[in-house]
Amino acid sequence: MIFSQRHSYHLVDPSPWPISGSLGALATTVGGVMYMHSFQGGATLLSLGLLFILYTMFVWWRDVLRESTLEGHHTKVVQLGLRYGFILFIVSEVMFFFAFFWAFFHSSLAPTVEIGGIWPPKGIGVLDPWEIPFLNTLILLSSGAAVTWAHHAILAGKEKRAVYALAATVLLALVFTGFQGMEYYQAPFTISDSIYGSTFFLATGFHGFHVIIGTLFLIICGIRQYLGHLTKEHHVGFEAAAWYWHFVDVVWLFLFVSIYWWGGI
Amino acid sequence: MAMSMMRSALLRNSLRSASKPSAPTRRGFSSSANHDDAYEAAKWEKITYLGAASCTILAIYNLSRGHPHSETPPEYPYLHIRNKEFPWDLDVDLEIF
Repeated sequence: MIFSQRHSYHLVDPSPWPISGSLGALATTVGGVMYMHSFQGGATLLSLGLLFILYTMFVWWRDVLRESTLEGHHTKVVQLGLRYGFILFIVSEVMFFFAFFWAFFHSSLAPTVEIGGIWPPKGIGVLDPWEIPFLNTLILLSSGAAVTWAHHAILAGKEKRAVYALAATVLLALVFTGFQGMEYYQAPFTISDSIYGSTFFLATGFHGFHVIIGTLFLIICGIRQYLGHLTKEHHVGFEAAAWYWHFVDVVWLFLFVSIYWWGGI
Repeated sequence: MAMSMMRSALLRNSLRSASKPSAPTRRGFSSSANHDDAYEAAKWEKITYLGAASCTILAIYNLSRGHPHSETPPEYPYLHIRNKEFPWDLDVDLEIF
């Protein structure tokens, strides 16, 4: 603890991670463009950039965990700031997905003559929304219940039960990803099959990517809960993971209703 | 649901920070917060088991039915679009894209 500090704000130490993350993002972008246009060295720069980002993520979050769990910098007011920050991040994620829904509705509400003037386009065999997609809806809703169970278990001080609840959440998340992978593999259309395939795989693919990120986030929370990092009064990381998980869940509900169900009839 | 949870959490925190600094940090609506959370935890545990059980039943039902094999559609110009080479030269099945 710091004894000379007379305020509850966290004045962070200078850190190299913002600039290393930015350089990693730059290398990833330039490398990605070079790779996709078959320039020499594109794949190397892309891989280097991704490695740089992954390394930055690891060490930056390691520092945050040290500052909060070991050094006690995350006071009530700091926690409030972190919550605001995470809510703003989720708002930006909502806008990200808004764009893909816009592309989908733009293409499906008034289908062009080039795809036969109908939606789904002529020749596209769609997936039955009441088979795997509906099952996946139930799986995500159940994992949402499990994360709420974990939340109340943490608040009630039931540490072991909270670990079990997080394990259940992660297990359901992995089953969801497994079924999505199976569905992708068996799908009668691909991303190169008309605007239907493009919008379908862009929207559901980015959702799947977010599910994987959310799963990793929950796994980290489970490990931290097991190690005793999370307490009744101090579990911002878990709360952020729970909010993120509910966000991913809500996006799926919109995907299910509009793309799988409405867009499949 | 997520939005309302965020809102309530924010409200709770702003209320908490607005109150006197000497006030103990306790959930204001209950004198025995521990008991409440234990009850809620048990309730959501049951809901999780119920959800997982129905998922298992539905999964078994779905997987046992198999999936229909659709016919290959005519070669419409907007299907199976190939405008340029893929950036990699690996020996993989490109028909999944």
